[in-house]
Amino acid sequence: MRLLLLVLSGLLTLACHTVSAEEILVYSGRSDKFVKPVFDAFTRKTGIKVVLHSGSSTALLNKLNLEQRQTKADVFISNDAGNLQKGAELGLFRPVSNKIARNIPSNYRAKDNSWLGLSARARVLVVNTNSPLAREVDSVFDLASPKLKGQLAITHSSNESYIAGVTVYMVSAGKEKTLQWLKGMKDNVDNSVFNKHGKIVKAVADGKKAVGLVNHYYIYRHLDKHPDAPIKLVMPDQIGSDMGVAWNVAGAAIIKHSKKAKAVEKLFEFMTSREGQTLFAEANREYPVRPGISASSTIPSVGSFKVADVPMAELGKQRGATLDLIEKAGMP
Amino acid sequence: MQASIANQLRSHLSSRGLLSLLVVAVAAIPLLFVISHSWQLSTERWLGLWSSRLPGLIWNTLSLAIWVAVGSFALGVSAAWLIVKREFIGRRLAIWLLVLPLTIPTYVFAHIYTSLLDSNGWLGRFWQYLFGAGADIPELYNLVGVSFVLSLAGFSYVFLLVRDALSHTHQNLEEAARIQGAGPRRVFWQVSLPLLRPAIAAGLALVVLHVLSDFGAVSMLRYQTFTLSIYLQMNVRFDSQAAAGLSFILVCFSLTFLVLERFFRKRQRFYSNAQSRKVEPQPATPLEQVLIWLWLGLISLFAFLLPLAWMLVWSWEAWLSDLINAAFWGYVGNSLLVSLLAASVAVVAALPVALYHAKQRNMLSQSYVHMAGIGFVLPGPVIALGILSFVLAVLPNLYGTLLVLVLAMVIRFLPLAVQSQESAAQQLTPSIEQAGRSLGAGPLRNLRQVILPMMRGGMISAWVLVFIDTLKELPATLLLRPTGFDTLPVRIWIEASEEMLELAAPAALMLVIGTLPILWFLMRPTRHAQHG
Repeated sequence: MRLLLLVLSGLLTLACHTVSAEEILVYSGRSDKFVKPVFDAFTRKTGIKVVLHSGSSTALLNKLNLEQRQTKADVFISNDAGNLQKGAELGLFRPVSNKIARNIPSNYRAKDNSWLGLSARARVLVVNTNSPLAREVDSVFDLASPKLKGQLAITHSSNESYIAGVTVYMVSAGKEKTLQWLKGMKDNVDNSVFNKHGKIVKAVADGKKAVGLVNHYYIYRHLDKHPDAPIKLVMPDQIGSDMGVAWNVAGAAIIKHSKKAKAVEKLFEFMTSREGQTLFAEANREYPVRPGISASSTIPSVGSFKVADVPMAELGKQRGATLDLIEKAGMP
Repeated sequence: MQASIANQLRSHLSSRGLLSLLVVAVAAIPLLFVISHSWQLSTERWLGLWSSRLPGLIWNTLSLAIWVAVGSFALGVSAAWLIVKREFIGRRLAIWLLVLPLTIPTYVFAHIYTSLLDSNGWLGRFWQYLFGAGADIPELYNLVGVSFVLSLAGFSYVFLLVRDALSHTHQNLEEAARIQGAGPRRVFWQVSLPLLRPAIAAGLALVVLHVLSDFGAVSMLRYQTFTLSIYLQMNVRFDSQAAAGLSFILVCFSLTFLVLERFFRKRQRFYSNAQSRKVEPQPATPLEQVLIWLWLGLISLFAFLLPLAWMLVWSWEAWLSDLINAAFWGYVGNSLLVSLLAASVAVVAALPVALYHAKQRNMLSQSYVHMAGIGFVLPGPVIALGILSFVLAVLPNLYGTLLVLVLAMVIRFLPLAVQSQESAAQQLTPSIEQAGRSLGAGPLRNLRQVILPMMRGGMISAWVLVFIDTLKELPATLLLRPTGFDTLPVRIWIEASEEMLELAAPAALMLVIGTLPILWFLMRPTRHAQHG
């Protein structure tokens, strides 16, 4: 018995991993493969190690909120501006210095610099080029048209990108119109929604659905594997006075109680540098937020389309209202 | 009257009583969290919850529990019956195939079957081959799909318990009924099945409680049960009060269910006696052999062989692209470490509770057993949240260490350890203990030389059950793991949510392989019984 205890306590001490002075602990809500290239380059350059603690952005933010000053994390990375703004409102972050924040345009960061956007994505339509319906959609609001009954593919409504998109439409077009739109889509999907964006693109490519609503990079991910797939990206809401495409950023924030201010500052400097921005954008074919850095040549170039004029911070501020609206419509 | 109170007090103050109280107090931490948080919920918000969510959630959760119970009953009882009553070629192999599904977590089942039923998946293509290229492949994102997945993942519990009970039933009773002129069907319905009732009830209770607290499969398949809704309240809306309110209602449901189940089993206690003979399986006729293997083969095809084949194929892909590296073996080591620690601690912690109840059998000891069952009536995410809040407030120095994760695992799976040890402790008729004491053994010596050896079987199965469940545990691990400490389930979760099949498969395969030697332990007592 005593031997067992001895062995157990030995194992325990072995397993307790402590973060040393030259390590930064990152709570990352993004897929490892999108952030690792950036952190690896950072470590090569500065010798500062980055420990990744991955999970879903919302769950990690919740964890931070519970931990408060007892957290060991130094940096929070989120796939969605809504979470970043929510964290800022909960007072979990510390502002990034002006010198660094200036690298990022002001509509892609918090007013007080408590978080910065790092890479941007567009909420676009994917259509099957063989479907006659494909030519009839040029706005997200067309997705509520009864013509698309059984032909529409969307994600379930707890998806962060989906929620953020609905927020943009709600702010741009008003609550009533957005509610009617949600109800129309609900009729069209007939309770059958997708749990992954990748599956939406695939369903459209296979001709099972005519139109889907996704982030732009999922389309290219599918085309990588199936270059001949009959799908096409449609940038919605571009005609005349239409609101423009919904935009969202993935970004980062410094945890208020981090004790490694210097190292973290270096990491943010790197993430907003030309090199860091290029790496971020390339890893997932997203749009760099720092001006003057070109995105991957396969995706529509910045400036070739109109973006809805909604500050990223609204994605957090209006999230509660959006969730209420989605619930009111009874979206699955 | 006074004497009995004094007696009660003395028993309460005995070392077993005190230790049990301590264990139960720790196990109750998450429940206290739920109660204190739902207390803060205002009346309007309760009414809001009631009108907007509850009816749907109750309907979804109850119908899922019933469907899965029916599915597991059909699979588990039929398989156990065939295995115990008939001798056929490959019987031992069949037993293994029916137990092995326990090694696959529900979220892996969900993940594998969604990709198998994809239009490019094996089953999807087979379906379209059968019904034409345009045929709609069945989807899993509904009640039937989730029930299918959870029945496959859970029926082995029913199988194990019913098989055990069947092979220990008193064949004399059945024979007596036959001699009295009852036909085989009547014997089954009027003698065998009633004798099996406790085992079936215990098996189904285990399955239903797993369903109520399941997080992985329902969240992958987006089926709104209480557990998923609670998780979303916590993590999408940051509303821990509403989450606690929903948890509170779930706890009330589960406790009602547990009390009913106990009531059902009441007065169903048999002391096995020396005269009862072991059940000898009858040799099966060739036709029976074919039919038996058709049925058992079909079950194991879906519950184990297909998922295994999927894991092997994708693991091979991962191997080819050099994804099985040092980091991967690190996850394996972490998983084994947590499971080893949790299983050992849980067995030790459950012992006083089980012994105390076996000896006292009063309201107090019974309520201890119920309280130790908290881990099964609360969803994993809530247990994790409760422990997190407790540790942050009371033991901040421990926060972020492996110890907290182990504590959570022990609380979650303590009911498994208590139940199997309690059923083992039931064989300790009071006379056995008194005999030891009257021969001059002190309490400790009695424990070591009389009680523990008799409970060995129960302790081993307790250890094995906790080990297996910890190895598969997901939601509490996600929240409480030390930073940078990833386990296999965590990796499966992360990779599967990014649709990286070739990374999720080897981790799932390692879960199966890691459980194999442990399962062998669990199966050993029966082998012993058969040959000895």
